[in-house]
Amino acid sequence: MVERLIARAADDARITREQALALYRQAPTLALGRAADAIRARKHPGRIVTYIIDRNVNYTNVCLARCNFCAFYRPVGSAEGYVLGFEEIFRKIDDTVAVGGNQLLLQGGHNPDLPIDWYEDLFRAVKARYPAFRLHALSPPEVLHISRINRIPVPDVIARLVAAGLDSIPGGGAEILVDRVRRLLNCYSKASADEWLDVMRQAHRAGLRSTATMMYGSVETDEERVEHLFRLRDLQDETRGFTAFITWSYQPEHTERGGTEATGVEYLRTLALARLVLDNFDNLQASWVTQGGKVGQLSLAYGANDMGSVMIEENVVRAAGASYCMDEVEIVTNIEDAGFIPKRRNMHYEILGDPIFRERDLPRMLALGTARAEGDASLPEELQRYQARSRAGKQLRLAH
Amino acid sequence: MEMAPALDRLLERVGAGERLSAAEIADLAATPDILALGMMADTVRRRLHGTRVTYLRVAGCAFDASFAECVPPAAREIRIGGAPGTLAVAVAAVRSARAIAGERTVSGFSWPDVEALAARGRTALPDALRELRAAGLDALAEVPIDGVTDLDAVVAVLAETGFERLRLTCAQAPPAERTALLLRAAAAQDRAGGIHVLNPLPTVVTSARPTTGYEDVKAVALARLAAPNIPTIQVDWLRYGPKLAQVALTFGADDLDNVTASDAAPDGHRRAPVQEVRRNIEAAALSPAERDGRFNVI
Repeated sequence: MVERLIARAADDARITREQALALYRQAPTLALGRAADAIRARKHPGRIVTYIIDRNVNYTNVCLARCNFCAFYRPVGSAEGYVLGFEEIFRKIDDTVAVGGNQLLLQGGHNPDLPIDWYEDLFRAVKARYPAFRLHALSPPEVLHISRINRIPVPDVIARLVAAGLDSIPGGGAEILVDRVRRLLNCYSKASADEWLDVMRQAHRAGLRSTATMMYGSVETDEERVEHLFRLRDLQDETRGFTAFITWSYQPEHTERGGTEATGVEYLRTLALARLVLDNFDNLQASWVTQGGKVGQLSLAYGANDMGSVMIEENVVRAAGASYCMDEVEIVTNIEDAGFIPKRRNMHYEILGDPIFRERDLPRMLALGTARAEGDASLPEELQRYQARSRAGKQLRLAH
Repeated sequence: MEMAPALDRLLERVGAGERLSAAEIADLAATPDILALGMMADTVRRRLHGTRVTYLRVAGCAFDASFAECVPPAAREIRIGGAPGTLAVAVAAVRSARAIAGERTVSGFSWPDVEALAARGRTALPDALRELRAAGLDALAEVPIDGVTDLDAVVAVLAETGFERLRLTCAQAPPAERTALLLRAAAAQDRAGGIHVLNPLPTVVTSARPTTGYEDVKAVALARLAAPNIPTIQVDWLRYGPKLAQVALTFGADDLDNVTASDAAPDGHRRAPVQEVRRNIEAAALSPAERDGRFNVI
């Protein structure tokens, strides 16, 4: 029965929840990979594997949400809390442009002391200085947070951010789109499954494209993992707004929840299953940042057609124990070694060209950067211009 | 989802129990279709071992360190590390390891190290091996196929001096040369027997040129296909890490060497090294079995 399902899925027949579950649980890993690879080959017949040069910047680690799977956030008032200054962000953009990057993936904690005008001013300032630079920013829970603390409806938040320069929305904060799981992970209040999906719906309606993600391997059942994929497939049927899907394993180090990380084989099976279920998604990224370069590369045989980003900087996964690094040279080496043709892309998956390092000399990058140097607790000048809501935030601004 | 017809036919033949020729193995080394390669290797692996994956808990200890301090009770083998300067020092290290090993195996040194020790001490190689064996050395830790010129002669002298169940490794041969080494191992086994383990992943890896995931799983699958006459295809758990080692189990490997013998579990029972190994094997839909240094399942 599983053999028939594999053949059906690979032949482009739409699969049901029950079939997806049976495949995930019973199909041999290599056979699941072959089916996913057949779909990848059909959707991307030129053997091209893409990647993007962008920088993963976290503008603040102060967060109200307190998700118990997160090792990155600091509570409001923490001495280890930070907000990046505009100048710091400009320097990060300069560094990104220097290595051929064209975009920031900008995400952060749900900081109560950053009103919507902070985001608008930041985006406008970035666009004024770097008109061609793209802002792939603010995952759905952040959009919701801005909507809530400013008492502005989500579509209006999106409209204002787009007017200020927002280009696209990253698919973070999806975790598993099942409310039972979200309650257990203490992330239901930041966004329920419906709320997450609705922000994406509104963004797509406003003409933005976005990615979608899944963090598996914490407390969800196999059924719930499948449910997540189907909720994404349904919304994609409705809006066609998702450009790509990225899945990664829960990283347990230093988190309140703890536990163990799902294994490499489970990652490859989950990725392959996603390729079979998400028949209306063109692009699947490999998560080398959680799986390491080797399983990251092997993802290309299990349905992935994109090696993600060189990242340049990473703070969230590192806080939870994973510290892999791949620069452009290494990403390209891995793509070619697997028999594919590497191409640089933008967030919309438009091909920008061949590897930059073959056009000009670039320094090798052997470790990913961080948001800030360790122990740097400086308060950016411009924060004084924005009204803080929390008691701790108000005191901090008075003290400076 | 048709496989290339040529690969399809090979898979059928492997499924029927046929051994692929050296020329076919060399051709397979060039395919980017690692999943087809994996399926063939997995077929051989299941015929030989079913779903069983063995693992060995090893206490690694430098020849000049205190064995009493670095060998935890959970270790099933003591592996002497480093390259002693003289045969006498090597023999003394083996004796110290033997003294606390009890029933457990003692392994150590690589073939080139032993060659160097014998040459330096102007001792005939067989005599040096006999001396180490008499002191209590059960196995050479590494016999790198790319570190010996005449593999048949090495296999013969090791058999003659009392070393059984040989473990062949690859030191640093790049993928382009590795397939030939794997075939050489299989041919040596055909001629003389006595080889129990083939460990195809490089034991010397530089950070400037790390191996890739494709390279690694390909090497494992090719080893399984090239040498169906060698019982075990092994991966080093500590050196290659849980993720790659686990994936390698689905590409033809059946044994995990060098699992940490420490039972310390500062992060809780579920994250103790041995639990981590078992969890990874089970998550690959295979069955874990601990073994000792003589390949007996415990």
